[in-house]
Amino acid sequence: MPLGSFPDILTVLDSIWDPGVAIDLKAVEQLATDQSSLKAAAGLAKPAKWSGIGGSGDGALIWGECAGSGANPYRVMADLRDLGNKCTCPSRKFPCKHVLGLLWLNAEAIVPFTPADTPSWVSDWLGRRRGASAAKPAGNAAPAGDKDLRAAQRAEPETIEDPKDAARREAQAAKRSDETERAILDALDALEQWVGDQLRLGLSPFIDDVTARCRRIAARLVDGKAAVLAGRIDELPGRLLALPAGDRPRGAVVELGKLVLLARAFRATPRDAEIRRAVATSETRETVLTDPLALRVNAPWEVLAEQVRTRRDGLVSQTTWLLNLATTGPRFAMLLDFFPASAGRRGSVFTPGERFQGELAFYPSQQPLRALLVRRDTTEETSAEWPIPDEAPSDALTRPLLAEPWIIDIPLLLPQGRIARDDTGHIWWRSADGAMTLPVATEAQGILCGTSLTRTAAIWSGNRLTILAAQTPWGRIGPP
Amino acid sequence: MTEAANAQAIYDAIGAVLTRWTMGSAATPTAPFWRAEFGDDPAEAELRLLALSGQFLAVAVTTEPSSTLRFLPDIPALALPTVPEALRPLVRRLMAAKKDPQLKNELVHFLAARGWTSHPADWMPEAGDEDAPDVYAAWRDWAEIAASNIASRQQTSDRLTADNWEDFWPAARKAALAELRRRDPSAARTVLEAKLGNESADARLRLLSLLSERLSDDDIAFLGGIAANDRAPKVKALATSLLARLGRGPGAGEDVAELAGFFSLKTKGLLRRSRVIQAEPPKTPARWQRRKALFDGADLTSFSGALGVTPHELVAAWDWNVDQAADTALIKLIAETGTDALVTQAAEAISERDATGLVVALAPRLAPSERARFAEVALRRHGINFETAQLIAGATARLADPLSAPAGNALLAALRRDDAKPSDQVSELYAVGLIASRDGARQSLEHLTGAGLLQGDPRLDMLRLNAALDDNGAKP
Repeated sequence: MPLGSFPDILTVLDSIWDPGVAIDLKAVEQLATDQSSLKAAAGLAKPAKWSGIGGSGDGALIWGECAGSGANPYRVMADLRDLGNKCTCPSRKFPCKHVLGLLWLNAEAIVPFTPADTPSWVSDWLGRRRGASAAKPAGNAAPAGDKDLRAAQRAEPETIEDPKDAARREAQAAKRSDETERAILDALDALEQWVGDQLRLGLSPFIDDVTARCRRIAARLVDGKAAVLAGRIDELPGRLLALPAGDRPRGAVVELGKLVLLARAFRATPRDAEIRRAVATSETRETVLTDPLALRVNAPWEVLAEQVRTRRDGLVSQTTWLLNLATTGPRFAMLLDFFPASAGRRGSVFTPGERFQGELAFYPSQQPLRALLVRRDTTEETSAEWPIPDEAPSDALTRPLLAEPWIIDIPLLLPQGRIARDDTGHIWWRSADGAMTLPVATEAQGILCGTSLTRTAAIWSGNRLTILAAQTPWGRIGPP
Repeated sequence: MTEAANAQAIYDAIGAVLTRWTMGSAATPTAPFWRAEFGDDPAEAELRLLALSGQFLAVAVTTEPSSTLRFLPDIPALALPTVPEALRPLVRRLMAAKKDPQLKNELVHFLAARGWTSHPADWMPEAGDEDAPDVYAAWRDWAEIAASNIASRQQTSDRLTADNWEDFWPAARKAALAELRRRDPSAARTVLEAKLGNESADARLRLLSLLSERLSDDDIAFLGGIAANDRAPKVKALATSLLARLGRGPGAGEDVAELAGFFSLKTKGLLRRSRVIQAEPPKTPARWQRRKALFDGADLTSFSGALGVTPHELVAAWDWNVDQAADTALIKLIAETGTDALVTQAAEAISERDATGLVVALAPRLAPSERARFAEVALRRHGINFETAQLIAGATARLADPLSAPAGNALLAALRRDDAKPSDQVSELYAVGLIASRDGARQSLEHLTGAGLLQGDPRLDMLRLNAALDDNGAKP
C-alpha cells in the first residue's frame, strides 16, 4: 500500500518527529574522507557507544559524547544545516569517525535526539566557528565513489586461526616481553648509575643543569623501553624549578629518591601491572575493561578540574579529576589521556562542577585512582554534598606514600580551612582548628582568599597543594 | 630510642645530609641511625640513603610558614542578591567574551539595574574600579584590603557623618555619601566641607563630583571656596564647572567675547520672525583651533550672555546640523556647565533635529527615564543602531520591542544575508540584549530564532540572560 494512503499517520509522525534539518546516509558517505572512516563510523553508530545524545529545539544542532580509546569520552557536535562539525578527539581526519558516527545515528534515527537546551560546549564551538562557507565540505572532500556504505556496514568474516600460528604468536609475544623486560632492567641500571652520579657531582650543579641532564637520561630510558619513566624524568625539571630556590635541594632528594625506589620495586616484581604502568607502559583500555580484577564503581561523580599540560616529549596530557560523591569506593578518580601536541588544542571534555552518574573502571592498583569512564548516564542534578574527608589530613598526605612511595600526585579532600598569605606573599592553606598548615602552589586571589573553605579538593604534589575546587558559603568555587 | 625521638633525630640530621649532597660529598656518615640498611658497597649505601631520605622528607616533613599568616576578612554579602545559580554560566560566558573592562561594566550595571549582583567567583571589581555600581562598594573595599597590608577594620553601616568618616573604607564612603546626597543634600555637603580637605586630589575629585546630584544654590559658597582655593587644578575645574551649572560661571571676559565673535545672531522668517544663531565658519585651520580652545575654556552662561541671549534662548536659537564641530563643542559645554533643565532642552532639540549622536554626550546627565525615552525616539525616528541606542539608554532602559525599530529590520536583514558569518552582528545583538525589557528580550529571541538564528547561538547570550532574569530593579 502506498505511503500516500496514510496521510493522517504521516501528519502525526511529522508532529512528533520534527527532524528540523534532515540528513541521510548519503550525506554521511559523502562527508567521510575514506572508506576506513566510514567503516569505523558504522561501528560507532550504536546506542551503547554514546551518552548525552541531544539536539537543539530547532533541529539544527546535534551533539553527544562517545566513548573512545582514551579515558575521557569525546564530545561530538554537528550543525546539520551545513554539516559543520567538531569532535574533541585527537584524530587528524576531518571529519573523524565520531562525527560520522553521530551523523549516522541521526540519519538513521537509531537513537532519539531529544530536544534540549544547547550545552555551553556546543555554544562555545558555534561562537568560534568561522564562516559558514568553511563548513560546507559535504561531498567536496572526497568523491563519494571511493566509499561504499554497504561495505562499511558489512561485518568482517571471522578468520579461523591455525592453532600452530597461535602458539607461534604467543611464543613470539613472550619472547618480546622478555626482551622488553631485559631492556628495561638495563635502562634502570643506567638510571641508578645516573642518580648516583648526580649525588657524587653535587645536587647544586644538578639543579643548575637539571633540564639537560634529565633529557639525556630520559632519552636512554626511551631506548630502554621505559617510556613512562622517561616522561616522568622529562617533567622532573619542571616540578623542581617550580619550587622556591631554597626548597630545591629537598625537592631533588625526594624526586631522585623516588626514582631509586621505583627502580627497585620494578626489579622485585617486574610483572606487577601497577609498577609496570609507572615504568614502561599502561594497559590498553580493552585490557582494563576485560580485566575481572579491575574495580568497577558506579557512583555519582563531580568533575573537580581538568588539567592540560604540554610535556617536553611533545605529548599533551589531559587529566580529569573526579570526586566520588557516594559514601563507598575510591574517593577520587583520575581520567588520563595523552595526545600529540601537533594535533592541536582539544576542547574540554567536562565542565568543572558538572555531576554525572557513571561507571568507572579503575586500573588495578593498591590505591585505585587512574580510571576509565565505562558508561555515563544522563546528567542528573544531584544535591549531594561533598563527603566528609575520610581521614585526617596528615594521614591522607602520608598513607599513599607508604603504599607507593614513588607516586607524585596525591589527591586530597581537606576539612574546613582558609587561605592565608605570609609576609613574602606565599600562599598557605590552614585548617580551621589551626592544626595543619600547608603551602599552596597555585595563585589564590578573589573569592578563594575571602571566604571559609568548608571542604577543599586539592592535589598534594612536591610538598605543595594545588587547589582543584572548594566548597564555601558562596557555593562551589574553583581557582581562577 | 622511641619512634618519635628517632624521627626527631633523623630530622635533625637530614639538613647535614642535604648539605653534603648539595656539595657532592658522601652523606652516609651523617646518618648513623640507618647504618644497618646501608650494606657494604659505598655507592649502594648512598642510593639507599637517598631513597630513605627522600621518603622521609616526602612523608614526615612539611614546610612551615616563616612569618605570621595574614587572613583576609570574608567577602561581604551585598545589598542585592547574587544572580541565580542556573544563570551563572551565561554570565560567566558573557564576561569571558568581553575582554574590555568597560564592556564587563555594562553587564554588571545591567544586572544591578535588574536587582542582581554577580557571584564573586565570576566577577569582582578592582579597588579602583570607580565605574562599578555603588552596590559593589563593599567588594571594592575588600579588594583594597586584599591588595594592601593594612589590617582589616570594622566596616560600619551607620549613616555617614564627619565624625565617623574614618570608619568607612573609601568605596563604601563614596557610596554612603552619594546616598546621603540623594536623601539630604545639605547634610552631604556639610560632611564634605569638614572632610574633603584631608583627601587626595583624586579622591577629592571623585567626592566633589557627587555634588552634581541635587545641585542647588546652597552649594555655591562651598564650591566657590574650592574653585578659588583647592590645590589641584582638576578639582578647581570641577568646582568651576559645577558653579557654572548654577549660573555662576567665571563671567564674560575677552575670551568669551572672542568666542561669541565666531557666531552671529540673526532673524529669519517673514511672518513669524525667529532668531537664529549661525556659525561663521573659521577661515583657516588656526582659527578652527582657536574656536575649539575658546569653547574649552568657556561656560554656557557667559557664552550666551556674550551673544545677548539667555542659555535657554541660545539652545532654542542654535542652528543645528550646519557646523558639526560647533554643535559638538556646544553640547560639551552644556554637558559640563548647563543646568539639568538645559541639558534636557538640548537633548530634545538635537533629538528632534536628527543629531542623535550628540545625545550620547548628554546622556550621563540625563535621568534614567529620559535616557530610555531618547533612546527609543532615536531608534524609531532616526534609525540609529542598537549600539548607539545603548550608549544613550544606559543600563536601566527596558524597551518593549526594540526589534520593530528600523535598526531591528537592518539587523535581521544583515543576519539573513547569504554571506553572513557566525561572528557578524555580535555587538548589535549584545546591545539589544542590554536595552530590551524582559518581555522585549523574550520577543526578540523568538523573532531572531524564527529568522534562522540557532537557539544556542552565543550571540544571543545577552538576550537569553535578560529573558531569563527576574526584573527586580527599580523602574526609572
